Amino acid sequence: MTPEELRIAQEDISVHGARVGDFVRLGDTQLVIRVEGDDRQFGSELQMGFGKSARDGMGLKSVTTAESCDLVITNALLIDAIQGIKVTSIGIRNGRISAIGRAGNPDTMDDIDVVVGSGTVLIPGEGLIVTAGGIDTHVHALSPRVCDAALSSGVTTIIAQEFGPFWGVGVSSEWALKHGHEMFSAWPLNVGILGRASASTTSPLEEALAGGVCGFKIHEDTSAHPRTIDTALTFADQHDVAVALHTDGLNEMQDVIGTLSAIDGRAVHAFHVEGCGGGHAPDVLRLAGRENILASSTNPTLAYGINAADEHVAMIISAHGMNSDLPSDVALAKQRVRNATMAAENRLHDLGVIPVTSSDALGMGRADDTWRKTFAMASMFADQAVLDGSVAASQVATSNERVLRHIAKITTNPALVHGLSHEVGSVQVGLMADLVLWKYADFASKPNMVIKFGIPAWGVSGDPGATVNDAQPLVIGPQFGAYGVTAADLGVQFTNSSAALTLSRRKCVPVKNTRTVRSSHMVRHGVLGEVQVSPSGETVTFNGQPITSQPISQATLTRRFLI
Amino acid sequence: MDLTPSEQDRLLLFTAGQLAQTRLTRGLKLNKPEAIALISNAVVEAARAGATHSQAIEAGQSSIKHSDLMPGIAPLLTGIAIEAVFDDGRRLVVINFPQSEISEDEYAGQVIRLENFQSSSTAKISKVRVKNESNIAISVTSHMHFLEINPKLKFNRELAYGMRANIPSGTHVDFPPNQIIEVELIPIQGDRILIGFAGIVDGALDAPGMREKAMQRIIEFGYLTGEPS
Repeated sequence: MTPEELRIAQEDISVHGARVGDFVRLGDTQLVIRVEGDDRQFGSELQMGFGKSARDGMGLKSVTTAESCDLVITNALLIDAIQGIKVTSIGIRNGRISAIGRAGNPDTMDDIDVVVGSGTVLIPGEGLIVTAGGIDTHVHALSPRVCDAALSSGVTTIIAQEFGPFWGVGVSSEWALKHGHEMFSAWPLNVGILGRASASTTSPLEEALAGGVCGFKIHEDTSAHPRTIDTALTFADQHDVAVALHTDGLNEMQDVIGTLSAIDGRAVHAFHVEGCGGGHAPDVLRLAGRENILASSTNPTLAYGINAADEHVAMIISAHGMNSDLPSDVALAKQRVRNATMAAENRLHDLGVIPVTSSDALGMGRADDTWRKTFAMASMFADQAVLDGSVAASQVATSNERVLRHIAKITTNPALVHGLSHEVGSVQVGLMADLVLWKYADFASKPNMVIKFGIPAWGVSGDPGATVNDAQPLVIGPQFGAYGVTAADLGVQFTNSSAALTLSRRKCVPVKNTRTVRSSHMVRHGVLGEVQVSPSGETVTFNGQPITSQPISQATLTRRFLI
Repeated sequence: MDLTPSEQDRLLLFTAGQLAQTRLTRGLKLNKPEAIALISNAVVEAARAGATHSQAIEAGQSSIKHSDLMPGIAPLLTGIAIEAVFDDGRRLVVINFPQSEISEDEYAGQVIRLENFQSSSTAKISKVRVKNESNIAISVTSHMHFLEINPKLKFNRELAYGMRANIPSGTHVDFPPNQIIEVELIPIQGDRILIGFAGIVDGALDAPGMREKAMQRIIEFGYLTGEPS
């Protein structure tokens, strides 16, 4: 381009953001996406402000919000595992996405999908990326502040296993669960609570079901033996709830094949399938790549780094009630830490074998790091693909498929695994308007705004006494949607269809289709195959081929953005 | 101290700024939050020391050099807003750096455009010459029904029925007093229904008799029309 053309381009990008055909670097990653589509009409874009087109009779139609929408996010760069990557506008009505496409006034503009009324409020999305809110299916809510951390990272749905600094890994008391559901109403978050299914009879599970759990947790620390696995899955099949499994790292009663045999082809969510977070040593990773095992990773092993192994021994001891003065405890912890399985786990993500990422917040993972680590991992492969020449440079330049695969891990796929996809997980008409806006530069590292059920509920705000809303120090925290009784209304409690539970304020929504979900349903994943881990834990193969990745010394989305 | 929320925020800025300064002194390159804190703090402290508004901007800009920053950070340092306490009260300061000082080949969130867009519109374009016969400046935006613009703009309004200015969305044409400006017009799109504006049409543009009715109102309401001279 000539200098003059370049000036025109910069001015246009500054006003309208990226357009179709443009390339956008996500944060400081090596992921450069190409904008696949643009729902705007060039020259007739809906623009907000003084002297702009979003005015009555021009871009706004003088009708009620019922005939248009309550809120519109205009012309943002949508990245969605199902919809793809395009510039579009999103209309929201009564908390749900009501329309997606070109926004404006059909009286004066061609092919309008999102009718914007004279009473509609607007969030200009130019220069911003919009995604579905993140879903974190592995949260130890040991501190209420974990909710703040989750929201501050762009997570809008969590599956919690406790609500207090007690050893829960599932809560079963109906009385306590009632309080748990009520407490979470303080945050503009969707929350599901897991009951404990480390039990050899169904009575504790029945109690938890009545208490409104959305699923169950089997944990080795409270027993992941064949009888408990079978009890939980039989019960879950009867009641359509998900089961999350942290397998037996001791191989005390069965090895990984024994666990598979107890599972017996039924759907189960295998937590931290690499094994550092717990599970059959050294080969729990063999659970990945199977149709009925919905495998996930927790975030400390993602974007496999040079310090990953070193941080884990102390983390395991601290998180699992062990004692570093006991040599046998230290030995057990060390068994769980293997470079080879971490290196392989990361590659299995890139191949589309492991479909879900999560945090393991406060229980060996970071509540506010899942977006960051998921995309740092994606970037690592974009980078390593160039280094080892395994992908043509032109494919690397447009990382669209890789980006969409990785966003599925934190949005659509966890929703499917836990039976939430009738409400959340994608940007689609009818779903809850749980949306995250990110500046291009800060994508996956720090959200600009979190919209929960159609209301700005969390995000960046500045000096409260200033003349403008962006005066330093800018901090990420609650927006209006996090206050008053509204916080309760903006989220739902994911429960089950058997519980007759009524909360003071918050709505309960049963999960569904948790028992028929399979790996092949996972969006942009579903690659199946045989994972093998050598008895020493030093080599991993996938369908007979050695599989690994190089540890990175510098993770993207991190050093440039965190103080 | 009776610190207000704004003052407490100033302390957060100070802490972050000091942290950044310490790291810089140790020879580290600054990242995004560190750089913003350092710059903001410099502005606040300059104002405290009695600087004027423009001096405070200068203090912010000179508080950091490109070589103090990690690669790819400089282009992110735009539009940094800070409210500082000046001797004449609290004032908003916005810090920007000249493009030449912050440009880099590779940075977070960059947009790479290979060629500029050309409008592929096949809309019929007509031209009108417009004279502002008032004594104040008038501006007309992209999606305004051109027929109904300020009565003191004189032009052949017959040509403007159902038309709007052919300019990028959200921009405007300026009509300084007593000057003749030529403007390109294109037809209004969509269902071509105009509700509101000055009430000249208030219905479907292409309804039978609407054009005649509208042009009659233009005359009745005293809009200037006809070729300007």
